[in-house]
Amino acid sequence: MPDNGKLFKPLDPLLHSELRLAVMSILLDAGSADFVYLKAETGATSGNLSVQLDKLQQAGYIEVTKGFKGKMPQTVCSITDRGRDAFAAYVDALRSYIPGSKN
Amino acid sequence: MENNFSAENSLRLIAETIERSRRTIAKNSGKPLILWGALVAVTAIVIWALWSKTGSAAWNFLWFAMSAIGAVSMRFMTRNSEKVPDTEVSRMLGKIWMWFGIFSTGFFALVWAAWGLRCAIGIEGPLRVDLTLIIVLLMGLCGTLSGAALKFKPITISSVVATALSVLFLMVMPEGSALRILTFVILGLFALIIPGVILQKQTNN
Repeated sequence: MPDNGKLFKPLDPLLHSELRLAVMSILLDAGSADFVYLKAETGATSGNLSVQLDKLQQAGYIEVTKGFKGKMPQTVCSITDRGRDAFAAYVDALRSYIPGSKN
Repeated sequence: MENNFSAENSLRLIAETIERSRRTIAKNSGKPLILWGALVAVTAIVIWALWSKTGSAAWNFLWFAMSAIGAVSMRFMTRNSEKVPDTEVSRMLGKIWMWFGIFSTGFFALVWAAWGLRCAIGIEGPLRVDLTLIIVLLMGLCGTLSGAALKFKPITISSVVATALSVLFLMVMPEGSALRILTFVILGLFALIIPGVILQKQTNN
C-alpha cells in the first residue's frame, strides 16, 4: 500500500511501455499523426515502431490508415475514443503510485 | 524502449512529450508572426500615406488585400517548412485567429450595413464608431490568448504592451485623423514582429 493509505490501481500493461506511451501521448495531443512524424518524435526504429503501433491497433486504442500523399505512401495513426479512455484511466492509476498525489 | 518503468517516469514522459509538441508548434509560429507583423505595419503605412494624400478613408479596403496576400504567403511558406501535425494547441491558435477574422470582418460589415440603413431611413449626422480601437483591442486580446496557449511569455507580454501603447496612441491622436491608422505599426511591431523574432532566434539556436 502507498503511504497515503490507498490501494495501487492496476496499470494497463499496454500503455506501461515507454514507446507505446510516447506514441499515445503524441496522439492524445495531436489526434492523429503520420508514421514519419511519430518516428522522428520518439526516436524509435521503423521496425520497433511498427510492432508497437500494431499492438495499440489490435487493442483498439488507435486506428491506422494507409494511403498516399501525392505519390508517396503515407501511414496515418489516429487515437480512438477507447484509446483516450484507456489513457485517462492509466494516468489516474499512475497517481495512486505517487505519494501525496490527489486521486 | 520496450522496458517497463516507474510511475514517476511515465508521468514525466507524458508531460515531456506534450511539452515538446507545444514547443514544436511555438517554433513554427515564428515566421508567420514576422510575416503578418510586417504585412500589418506596411499596410498601415501605405494606407496612412494614401489617406493623407487623397483624403479618402476608402483606402482602408486595402486591409482585405493584405489578408489575401498574407493567406497566399502563408500557403507558400508552410509548403516548404517542416511538416508537423495539428495539435490541440495549434487548433486552438487557429480558432482564436479565425474568430478574430470573423469578428473584425463581421463588425466592419455591420457598421457598413448600419450606415446604409441610416442613410436609407434618413437619419442624419455621422455614425460614431471607433472601428480602429475595437480592432486593436480584439487583436491585442487574441495575441495575449495565443501567448497563453503557447505558454510563451514574450508573446503574452508584448501583446499586452502593444495593446496599451496602441490604445494610448489612439487616445492622443485627433478623431478622424489618418494618423490613427499608424497604431497598427505599433501593434504589428510589438505584438507580432518582436515575439516572432524571439521565437525564430530560439529555433535557430
